Amino acid sequence: MSTKASVQILPPAVKTSRKPFPWTTLIVLAILGFGAVLMIAPFLWIIQSAFGETREAFVLPPRWLPAHPTLKNFQDVFDQVPYHLFMFNSLKLAVLVTLGQLITCSMAAFAFARLQFPGKNILFFVLLSALMVPGQITIVPLFVMIRQLGLYNTHAALILPGLINPFGVFLLRQYFITIPTDLEDAARVDGANVFTIYLRIILPLSGPVLTTLAILTFVGVWNQYFFPLVVINEPKLQVITVGLTLLRGQFGAGALGTIAAALTMAIVPVLIVFLLLQKYIIKSIVSTGLKG
Amino acid sequence: MTAPKYVGLENYQKIFSDVRIGNVYLTTIRLTAMIVPCNMTLGLALAVLLDRKMPTIIRNFFKVSYFFPFVVSGVAVSIIWTFLFHRDLGPINYYLGLIGFERIYWLNSSTYSPLAIVIADVWKNVGFYVLVFLGGMQAISRDFYESAEVDGATAWQQFRHITLPLLSPTILFLMVISVIGALQIFEQPQILTNGGPGDATRTIVMYIYEQGFRFFDMGYASAIAFTLFIIILVLTIIQFALSRRWVFYS
Repeated sequence: MSTKASVQILPPAVKTSRKPFPWTTLIVLAILGFGAVLMIAPFLWIIQSAFGETREAFVLPPRWLPAHPTLKNFQDVFDQVPYHLFMFNSLKLAVLVTLGQLITCSMAAFAFARLQFPGKNILFFVLLSALMVPGQITIVPLFVMIRQLGLYNTHAALILPGLINPFGVFLLRQYFITIPTDLEDAARVDGANVFTIYLRIILPLSGPVLTTLAILTFVGVWNQYFFPLVVINEPKLQVITVGLTLLRGQFGAGALGTIAAALTMAIVPVLIVFLLLQKYIIKSIVSTGLKG
Repeated sequence: MTAPKYVGLENYQKIFSDVRIGNVYLTTIRLTAMIVPCNMTLGLALAVLLDRKMPTIIRNFFKVSYFFPFVVSGVAVSIIWTFLFHRDLGPINYYLGLIGFERIYWLNSSTYSPLAIVIADVWKNVGFYVLVFLGGMQAISRDFYESAEVDGATAWQQFRHITLPLLSPTILFLMVISVIGALQIFEQPQILTNGGPGDATRTIVMYIYEQGFRFFDMGYASAIAFTLFIIILVLTIIQFALSRRWVFYS
């Protein structure tokens, strides 16, 4: 009590004395560190189970390294389900939808940002209202359309609706309108047409925002579950998320090792890409978050 | 599936005679009322801690570890949590047992299964909130804090009168999108509990899925989907209307 009072009376003495031990910083780091352990530990536990023997998977206390490392669990995954096809299908869909969206969204955004045409404002308003309708809610009409077009049980059912992304158009349009028009004006004087301006001026100047859209779309398609669950029935065409649940359905909660191996194959590629591109990925997702 | 036939408002009337649906709405709203505040407060608290002075490499390590689950698919995360929550063999009950808790029936009790879903959801998504909050905080000019310090403001006063008001647009944004997201929660309850026990954790989107794609009653599924859309729309409008009272645009 008395020392505290003296500290308050003599602030200059405190300033000149040695720095106090940084207790608060230590406590903060301890809390954050504990949180980080909670985030990382479940992944480590699953990955070690994937490399362990089945009977050891559920050993308590939980292990962090397998006692007898083996690849048998991975073999079991491929024996039970065509997991390589699930992974290939997910990759294929993610790549195609991402490439497709980069083309469709950038073209639509270019039109909204740079061209003058009748009905532009109404169309833009329609686009914005589509942004407000959450995806899960349109699942029934979308499914009915897919069926009527004869696309049930095809990858086209997952690719075609994915090519339209109102959010992507909006994101790119907001970026395109910030690009100064000087360059275009100069190009136009030199005889460049609209398509050349889009391809040679706008796109090369939009690297960061195109990367953002590509990352968001790729991650979104790779992780999607509800829509493939509804429109794909043929196991060979199925994606990795539904594939995981198919595998789990066969075993119940019993064969942790096999499911852990499948989970590891689903998570580790994401982890590697995430660690390599973490700066871009975090920036992309968070920046779109900030702008809304 | 038969061809659609015009039935007037029949599908909407069915909602009122459906004995299960009231509970489904209630469950969804209850989950939302737990998920949104948990993500917001925990995200904000962790962001405040991360905003303190520390070596960049340590901060980046925390950012990456908190954010990674957000990038992993909800399906993979939910399957991992079914193992973690396992009653007899799961690590969670094991560690709780070490500090003296009884075994909890996380996934098959109507008391604990909603909590299990909230925990799994917060674990997956909190990193997004942390990083968006942190981005908002780092955009606040340090000058405000420096002059507040000169005036003798405590850390709490600085947080209350500088950070919170200047962060309010970010708070509003996160609240709006998290309410929309939580009302549509599907993967976690579908995989963790499959809606059970009974209908204890069945959410609206799960019910739409069940009616439309298990019972193939597309009309009824659409009617429920439309009510969900109205709920989302109304809640969003209310949040924006109320925001005029507390959101501060500098």
